[in-house]
Amino acid sequence: MIVCVAVVGHQNNPLYLQSFTEADDALKLHHIVHCSLDVVDERVNNPKKSGPTLNETFLGMLYPTENYKVYGYLTNTKVKFLMVTTDLDVKDADVRSFFRRFHAAYVDAVSNPFHVPGKKITSNAFAERVSGIVKSFGPVTTG
Amino acid sequence: MISVGKIKQYANVLEKPVSRGRQEVSLSAFAFLFSELVQYNQTQVDNIAELERRLEDAGYAVGARVLELLCHREKGNRRETRLLGILSFVHSTVWKVLFGKVADSLEKGTEHEDEYMISEKELLVNRFISIPKDMGAFNCGAFVAGIVKGVLDNAGFPAVVTAHFVPMEGQQRPRTTILIKFAEEVLRREARLG
Repeated sequence: MIVCVAVVGHQNNPLYLQSFTEADDALKLHHIVHCSLDVVDERVNNPKKSGPTLNETFLGMLYPTENYKVYGYLTNTKVKFLMVTTDLDVKDADVRSFFRRFHAAYVDAVSNPFHVPGKKITSNAFAERVSGIVKSFGPVTTG
Repeated sequence: MISVGKIKQYANVLEKPVSRGRQEVSLSAFAFLFSELVQYNQTQVDNIAELERRLEDAGYAVGARVLELLCHREKGNRRETRLLGILSFVHSTVWKVLFGKVADSLEKGTEHEDEYMISEKELLVNRFISIPKDMGAFNCGAFVAGIVKGVLDNAGFPAVVTAHFVPMEGQQRPRTTILIKFAEEVLRREARLG
Protein backbone atom coordinates (compact mmCIF):
# COMPACT_ATOMS: atom_id res chain seq x y z
CA MET A 1 0.00 0.00 0.00
CA ILE A 2 1.49 3.27 -1.03
CA VAL A 3 1.18 5.88 1.68
CA CYS A 4 2.96 8.84 0.13
CA VAL A 5 4.38 10.10 -3.17
CA ALA A 6 6.53 13.17 -3.64
CA VAL A 7 8.10 15.10 -6.50
CA VAL A 8 11.18 17.12 -5.58
CA GLY A 9 12.85 19.60 -7.92
CA HIS A 10 16.50 19.80 -8.82
CA GLN A 11 17.30 22.22 -6.01
CA ASN A 12 15.54 19.93 -3.54
CA ASN A 13 12.50 22.18 -3.52
CA PRO A 14 9.20 20.27 -3.13
CA LEU A 15 6.99 20.33 -6.20
CA TYR A 16 4.27 17.91 -5.22
CA LEU A 17 3.58 16.08 -1.99
CA GLN A 18 0.58 13.82 -1.49
CA SER A 19 -0.16 11.29 1.22
CA PHE A 20 -2.76 8.58 0.93
CA THR A 21 -3.51 7.64 4.52
CA GLU A 22 -6.27 8.97 6.71
CA ALA A 23 -4.11 8.92 9.80
CA ASP A 24 -2.56 12.19 10.86
CA ASP A 25 1.01 11.02 10.70
CA ALA A 26 1.29 12.74 7.34
CA LEU A 27 3.94 14.98 8.83
CA LYS A 28 6.03 11.94 9.73
CA LEU A 29 5.82 10.79 6.10
CA HIS A 30 6.98 14.17 4.87
CA HIS A 31 9.88 13.89 7.29
CA ILE A 32 10.81 10.47 5.91
CA VAL A 33 10.69 11.86 2.36
CA HIS A 34 12.96 14.69 3.41
CA CYS A 35 15.53 12.33 4.91
CA SER A 36 15.52 10.19 1.79
CA LEU A 37 16.65 13.17 -0.26
CA ASP A 38 20.03 12.89 1.42
CA VAL A 39 20.31 9.28 0.31
CA VAL A 40 19.51 10.30 -3.27
CA ASP A 41 22.19 12.97 -3.24
CA GLU A 42 24.70 10.54 -1.84
CA ARG A 43 23.93 7.98 -4.55
CA VAL A 44 24.20 10.56 -7.30
CA ASN A 45 27.40 12.20 -6.18
CA ASN A 46 29.46 9.23 -5.04
CA PRO A 47 28.89 6.35 -7.39
CA LYS A 48 30.12 3.05 -6.04
CA LYS A 49 31.15 2.07 -9.49
CA SER A 50 31.07 4.66 -12.25
CA GLY A 51 29.66 3.69 -15.60
CA PRO A 52 26.30 1.97 -16.05
CA THR A 53 24.95 2.66 -12.57
CA LEU A 54 25.65 6.36 -12.92
CA ASN A 55 23.10 6.65 -15.70
CA GLU A 56 20.16 4.72 -14.33
CA THR A 57 16.99 6.63 -13.64
CA PHE A 58 15.55 4.10 -11.20
CA LEU A 59 17.47 4.29 -7.93
CA GLY A 60 15.84 1.41 -6.12
CA MET A 61 15.14 1.15 -2.42
CA LEU A 62 16.64 4.05 -0.60
CA TYR A 63 15.74 3.77 3.01
CA PRO A 64 14.05 1.03 5.00
CA THR A 65 12.54 2.04 8.34
CA GLU A 66 10.60 -0.14 10.73
CA ASN A 67 7.42 -0.32 8.70
CA TYR A 68 8.07 1.79 5.60
CA LYS A 69 10.20 1.45 2.54
CA VAL A 70 11.18 4.37 0.33
CA TYR A 71 11.90 4.03 -3.38
CA GLY A 72 13.52 6.69 -5.56
CA TYR A 73 13.64 7.63 -9.23
CA LEU A 74 15.72 10.35 -10.83
CA THR A 75 14.83 11.98 -14.15
CA ASN A 76 17.18 13.58 -16.63
CA THR A 77 16.50 17.04 -15.27
CA LYS A 78 17.51 16.07 -11.72
CA VAL A 79 13.86 15.98 -10.66
CA LYS A 80 13.34 13.24 -8.10
CA PHE A 81 10.30 11.08 -7.53
CA LEU A 82 9.97 9.41 -4.12
CA MET A 83 7.50 6.76 -3.08
CA VAL A 84 6.84 5.53 0.46
CA THR A 85 5.14 2.16 0.83
CA THR A 86 4.14 -0.13 3.68
CA ASP A 87 4.21 -3.34 1.72
CA LEU A 88 6.70 -5.92 2.82
CA ASP A 89 7.07 -7.88 -0.40
CA VAL A 90 7.12 -5.44 -3.27
CA LYS A 91 8.54 -6.65 -6.54
CA ASP A 92 11.09 -4.52 -8.31
CA ALA A 93 9.19 -4.70 -11.60
CA ASP A 94 6.05 -3.31 -9.95
CA VAL A 95 7.90 -0.30 -8.61
CA ARG A 96 9.57 0.33 -11.96
CA SER A 97 6.26 0.27 -13.82
CA PHE A 98 4.75 2.55 -11.17
CA PHE A 99 7.52 5.08 -11.71
CA ARG A 100 7.20 4.85 -15.46
CA ARG A 101 3.51 5.76 -15.31
CA PHE A 102 4.23 8.44 -12.75
CA HIS A 103 6.89 9.90 -15.04
CA ALA A 104 4.36 9.99 -17.92
CA ALA A 105 1.88 11.90 -15.74
CA TYR A 106 4.66 14.27 -14.66
CA VAL A 107 5.74 14.96 -18.24
CA ASP A 108 2.16 15.79 -19.18
CA ALA A 109 1.81 18.16 -16.22
CA VAL A 110 5.07 19.95 -17.04
CA SER A 111 4.17 20.34 -20.74
CA ASN A 112 1.43 22.73 -19.65
CA PRO A 113 2.55 26.13 -20.99
CA PHE A 114 1.14 27.82 -17.91
CA HIS A 115 3.25 25.74 -15.57
CA VAL A 116 6.28 27.60 -14.29
CA PRO A 117 9.21 25.22 -13.86
CA GLY A 118 10.29 25.29 -10.23
CA LYS A 119 6.89 26.14 -8.82
CA LYS A 120 4.51 23.64 -7.26
CA ILE A 121 2.41 21.52 -9.58
CA THR A 122 -1.14 22.75 -9.11
CA SER A 123 -2.91 20.82 -11.85
CA ASN A 124 -5.96 18.91 -10.67
CA ALA A 125 -5.70 16.52 -13.58
CA PHE A 126 -2.23 15.54 -12.43
CA ALA A 127 -3.50 14.89 -8.89
CA GLU A 128 -6.27 12.69 -10.21
CA ARG A 129 -3.95 10.73 -12.45
CA VAL A 130 -1.56 10.16 -9.58
CA SER A 131 -4.36 8.86 -7.35
CA GLY A 132 -5.42 6.54 -10.16
CA ILE A 133 -1.88 5.19 -10.55
CA VAL A 134 -1.48 4.74 -6.79
CA LYS A 135 -4.78 2.87 -6.52
CA SER A 136 -3.81 0.45 -9.24
CA PHE A 137 -0.42 -0.25 -7.74
CA GLY A 138 0.02 -3.80 -6.67
CA PRO A 139 1.17 -7.22 -7.83
CA VAL A 140 0.14 -7.76 -11.42
CA THR A 141 -2.36 -10.63 -11.40
CA THR A 142 -2.51 -12.94 -14.40
CA GLY A 143 -5.81 -14.41 -15.48
CA MET B 1 -33.98 0.46 -25.23
CA ILE B 2 -32.68 3.05 -27.66
CA SER B 3 -30.76 4.90 -24.94
CA VAL B 4 -29.10 1.68 -23.78
CA GLY B 5 -27.93 1.08 -27.34
CA LYS B 6 -26.44 4.57 -27.48
CA ILE B 7 -24.52 4.08 -24.26
CA LYS B 8 -23.08 0.85 -25.59
CA GLN B 9 -21.79 2.67 -28.65
CA TYR B 10 -20.09 5.31 -26.52
CA ALA B 11 -18.54 2.63 -24.34
CA ASN B 12 -16.93 1.11 -27.41
CA VAL B 13 -15.49 4.44 -28.46
CA LEU B 14 -14.01 4.92 -25.03
CA GLU B 15 -12.47 1.50 -25.13
CA LYS B 16 -10.59 2.22 -28.31
CA PRO B 17 -6.91 2.63 -27.50
CA VAL B 18 -5.75 6.21 -27.78
CA SER B 19 -3.45 6.37 -30.77
CA ARG B 20 -0.27 8.37 -30.67
CA GLY B 21 -1.64 10.46 -33.50
CA ARG B 22 0.13 11.69 -36.59
CA GLN B 23 3.52 13.01 -35.70
CA GLU B 24 3.38 15.79 -38.24
CA VAL B 25 2.26 19.38 -37.92
CA SER B 26 1.55 21.47 -41.01
CA LEU B 27 4.57 23.60 -41.93
CA SER B 28 2.46 26.55 -43.02
CA ALA B 29 0.58 26.56 -39.72
CA PHE B 30 3.85 26.65 -37.83
CA ALA B 31 5.29 29.33 -40.15
CA PHE B 32 2.24 31.56 -39.56
CA LEU B 33 2.45 31.06 -35.81
CA PHE B 34 6.18 31.74 -35.75
CA SER B 35 5.81 34.88 -37.87
CA GLU B 36 3.13 36.14 -35.47
CA LEU B 37 5.46 35.42 -32.56
CA VAL B 38 8.26 37.45 -34.15
CA GLN B 39 5.93 40.30 -35.12
CA TYR B 40 4.40 40.47 -31.66
CA ASN B 41 7.79 40.62 -30.00
CA GLN B 42 8.93 43.25 -32.48
CA THR B 43 6.20 45.62 -31.34
CA GLN B 44 7.18 45.19 -27.72
CA VAL B 45 10.90 46.00 -27.94
CA ASP B 46 12.94 48.81 -29.41
CA ASN B 47 16.25 47.15 -30.19
CA ILE B 48 17.56 44.00 -31.83
CA ALA B 49 19.30 42.52 -28.81
CA GLU B 50 16.10 42.59 -26.79
CA LEU B 51 14.20 40.91 -29.62
CA GLU B 52 16.77 38.15 -29.78
CA ARG B 53 16.58 37.67 -26.03
CA ARG B 54 12.79 37.37 -26.14
CA LEU B 55 12.90 34.75 -28.87
CA GLU B 56 15.53 32.88 -26.89
CA ASP B 57 13.35 32.94 -23.76
CA ALA B 58 10.43 31.58 -25.74
CA GLY B 59 12.65 28.76 -27.02
CA TYR B 60 13.98 28.05 -23.53
CA ALA B 61 10.53 27.11 -22.26
CA VAL B 62 10.08 24.76 -25.21
CA GLY B 63 13.49 23.20 -24.65
CA ALA B 64 12.79 22.42 -21.00
CA ARG B 65 9.59 20.58 -21.84
CA VAL B 66 11.06 18.79 -24.86
CA LEU B 67 13.83 17.40 -22.67
CA GLU B 68 11.38 15.95 -20.15
CA LEU B 69 9.20 14.49 -22.87
CA LEU B 70 12.01 12.93 -24.88
CA CYS B 71 13.77 11.47 -21.89
CA HIS B 72 10.62 9.74 -20.88
CA ARG B 73 9.57 8.63 -24.36
CA GLU B 74 12.75 7.70 -26.12
CA LYS B 75 15.55 7.23 -23.68
CA GLY B 76 14.13 4.62 -21.34
CA ASN B 77 16.29 4.48 -18.27
CA ARG B 78 19.36 6.35 -19.40
CA ARG B 79 20.45 9.71 -18.02
CA GLU B 80 23.06 11.73 -19.87
CA THR B 81 26.08 12.70 -17.79
CA ARG B 82 28.76 13.14 -20.47
CA LEU B 83 29.23 16.17 -22.70
CA LEU B 84 29.45 14.21 -25.94
CA GLY B 85 26.39 12.22 -24.90
CA ILE B 86 24.16 15.24 -24.40
CA LEU B 87 25.47 16.92 -27.56
CA SER B 88 24.71 13.92 -29.75
CA PHE B 89 21.32 13.65 -28.05
CA VAL B 90 20.54 17.25 -29.07
CA HIS B 91 22.01 16.77 -32.52
CA SER B 92 20.02 13.66 -33.43
CA THR B 93 17.05 12.97 -31.16
CA VAL B 94 15.90 16.52 -30.43
CA TRP B 95 16.38 17.64 -34.02
CA LYS B 96 14.56 14.57 -35.33
CA VAL B 97 11.54 15.17 -33.11
CA LEU B 98 11.36 18.89 -33.77
CA PHE B 99 12.37 19.16 -37.42
CA GLY B 100 11.96 15.63 -38.79
CA LYS B 101 15.63 15.09 -39.60
CA VAL B 102 18.96 15.07 -37.78
CA ALA B 103 21.06 18.23 -37.82
CA ASP B 104 23.55 18.57 -40.65
CA SER B 105 26.72 18.54 -38.62
CA LEU B 106 28.18 18.75 -35.13
CA GLU B 107 31.66 20.22 -34.79
CA LYS B 108 34.05 21.08 -32.02
CA GLY B 109 35.41 24.62 -32.02
CA THR B 110 39.09 24.98 -32.82
CA GLU B 111 39.87 28.17 -30.96
CA HIS B 112 38.33 27.41 -27.57
CA GLU B 113 37.95 24.17 -25.65
CA ASP B 114 34.41 24.89 -24.58
CA GLU B 115 32.81 25.72 -27.92
CA TYR B 116 30.76 23.38 -30.09
CA MET B 117 28.78 24.11 -33.23
CA ILE B 118 25.68 22.53 -34.73
CA SER B 119 25.23 23.57 -38.35
CA GLU B 120 22.23 23.43 -40.59
CA LYS B 121 22.03 24.41 -44.24
CA GLU B 122 18.75 26.19 -43.57
CA LEU B 123 16.84 26.19 -40.30
CA LEU B 124 13.20 25.22 -40.65
CA VAL B 125 12.09 28.28 -38.73
CA ASN B 126 13.97 30.56 -41.15
CA ARG B 127 12.56 28.98 -44.30
CA PHE B 128 10.04 31.74 -45.01
CA ILE B 129 11.90 34.59 -43.35
CA SER B 130 14.21 37.12 -44.98
CA ILE B 131 15.90 39.63 -42.74
CA PRO B 132 15.74 43.29 -43.88
CA LYS B 133 19.15 44.92 -44.36
CA ASP B 134 18.72 47.39 -41.52
CA MET B 135 18.44 44.64 -38.94
CA GLY B 136 22.03 43.68 -39.36
CA ALA B 137 23.05 40.32 -38.01
CA PHE B 138 19.75 39.35 -36.45
CA ASN B 139 18.78 35.73 -36.84
CA CYS B 140 15.38 34.27 -36.01
CA GLY B 141 17.27 31.09 -35.27
CA ALA B 142 17.57 32.63 -31.81
CA PHE B 143 14.40 30.66 -31.11
CA VAL B 144 16.16 27.39 -31.91
CA ALA B 145 19.18 28.55 -29.91
CA GLY B 146 16.79 29.05 -26.99
CA ILE B 147 15.46 25.51 -27.39
CA VAL B 148 18.99 24.08 -27.27
CA LYS B 149 19.80 26.24 -24.26
CA GLY B 150 16.66 24.97 -22.49
CA VAL B 151 17.63 21.36 -23.13
CA LEU B 152 21.23 21.80 -22.00
CA ASP B 153 20.45 23.92 -18.93
CA ASN B 154 17.86 21.52 -17.58
CA ALA B 155 20.07 18.51 -18.20
CA GLY B 156 22.75 20.00 -15.99
CA PHE B 157 25.06 21.50 -18.65
CA PRO B 158 24.71 25.30 -18.39
CA ALA B 159 25.77 27.01 -21.61
CA VAL B 160 25.47 30.18 -23.65
CA VAL B 161 23.88 29.38 -27.01
CA THR B 162 23.64 31.74 -29.98
CA ALA B 163 22.68 31.48 -33.64
CA HIS B 164 24.85 32.90 -36.43
CA PHE B 165 24.81 33.16 -40.17
CA VAL B 166 27.94 31.81 -41.84
CA PRO B 167 28.27 32.76 -45.51
CA MET B 168 29.33 29.91 -47.79
CA GLU B 169 30.90 30.34 -51.21
CA GLY B 170 28.85 28.97 -54.02
CA GLN B 171 25.57 29.21 -52.13
CA GLN B 172 23.17 32.08 -52.21
CA ARG B 173 21.82 31.74 -48.68
CA PRO B 174 24.27 31.54 -45.80
CA ARG B 175 24.46 28.49 -43.58
CA THR B 176 23.16 28.76 -40.03
CA THR B 177 25.32 27.73 -37.10
CA ILE B 178 24.23 27.31 -33.51
CA LEU B 179 27.21 28.10 -31.31
CA ILE B 180 27.26 26.43 -27.89
CA LYS B 181 29.67 27.72 -25.26
CA PHE B 182 29.68 25.65 -22.10
CA ALA B 183 30.16 27.08 -18.62
CA GLU B 184 33.35 26.52 -16.62
CA GLU B 185 31.84 23.98 -14.24
CA VAL B 186 30.77 21.71 -17.08
CA LEU B 187 34.33 21.43 -18.37
CA ARG B 188 35.69 20.89 -14.88
CA ARG B 189 33.19 18.11 -14.24
CA GLU B 190 33.94 16.54 -17.60
CA ALA B 191 37.67 16.58 -16.85
CA ARG B 192 37.01 14.98 -13.47
CA LEU B 193 34.94 12.19 -14.97
CA GLY B 194 37.82 11.36 -17.26
